[in-house]
Amino acid sequence: MLRAGALLALGGAAAPLTGCGLLDRDDDPNPGPDPLTPLLDEALRLAAGHRDAAVAHPALAGLLTPIAEAHHAHAAELARLVGVPLPSGSAPATPAAPGDPAAARAALRAGERAGREAATRACAAAPAERAALLASIVAARATHVEALK
Amino acid sequence: MSTPTPSGPAGALAAALTAEYAAIWAYGPIGVRLTGAARTAAREAEAAHRRRRDDLVVRLSAGGGSVPPDRAGYTLPFPVTDRASALRLAVEVEERTAAFWRAAVPATTGADRDRALAVLVEYALRATRWRRTAGITPLTVPFPGRPA
Repeated sequence: MLRAGALLALGGAAAPLTGCGLLDRDDDPNPGPDPLTPLLDEALRLAAGHRDAAVAHPALAGLLTPIAEAHHAHAAELARLVGVPLPSGSAPATPAAPGDPAAARAALRAGERAGREAATRACAAAPAERAALLASIVAARATHVEALK
Repeated sequence: MSTPTPSGPAGALAAALTAEYAAIWAYGPIGVRLTGAARTAAREAEAAHRRRRDDLVVRLSAGGGSVPPDRAGYTLPFPVTDRASALRLAVEVEERTAAFWRAAVPATTGADRDRALAVLVEYALRATRWRRTAGITPLTVPFPGRPA
C-alpha cells in the first residue's frame, strides 16, 4: 500500500517535469547570464584600478601599467568567450587610489587576491574549452600579488 | 622540451613528466652559475621539480599508464655562461614547465584539475621571482603558461 502510494506520488511529480520543464529548456531564449560575466567585469575593474593608481603615483607606473594591460587582455579574451563586445569608452568607476604609495599597492594587492580566488572558482567549474584561459588568469593574478609586494 | 601535446589526463601528466625531467636537468648548469641566495633558490626550485617528478611517476604507475623515461641530456635553448644567462634560463624553465601544467588543466577535472592549477601558479610565481632577481621587467606575463 505504502509503496504504491510512493510510486503514484513520484509519477505525479515527474509528469510536469517531462511535460514542459525538461523539453522546453532547449528553446529557452534567455539561458541566463554567462558564468564568466562577473569575471569579465572584474577584469575591467582591476585594469581601471591599476591605471588610476599609475596616474596617481607616476613612480609606480612602470610596475602598474603592464598589470593593467594584462587585465585588459584578460577582459578581451573573456569577452570573446562570453560572446559580447568588449565595452569601449568610459572605464568602470573605481574608488580613488590611496594617496600613500604603500597603501595604494596594498589596496591593489587585495583586489588581485580576491580576483585570484574568483578565477580559481571559475576554473574549477569551467568546461575544458574554457579552463586553460581561466588557469592563466588565476596564475597571472597570483603573480600580480607577488609583483606588488 | 617539446610543445605540450596531451591526450586525456594520463597523456597530459606524462607530458608534464617529460618537462619535469628537463627542468631538473636544466637547474644543474643554472645552479653552478649562481651564488648566495640565488643559488639557494635554485636548489629549492630543483628540489620542487624533483618532488613533482616523483609524484608523477607514482601517479602514472598507479594508473597503469606508461611512464616516459628520462633522457641522458637535454639541449639548452641558449648557452649558460654567467649569472645573467643562468637567471634567464631559470625564468624560461619555469615558464616552459608551466605550459605543460596549464595544458593539464583542461585535460583533468576535480581534484586533479585543482592540483594542475596549483602547479601552474607555483611555477608562474617562481618565474616572477626569478625575473625580480635578474632585474627583468616587467615582472609578469599576461597569460602564464600560454604558448607564445
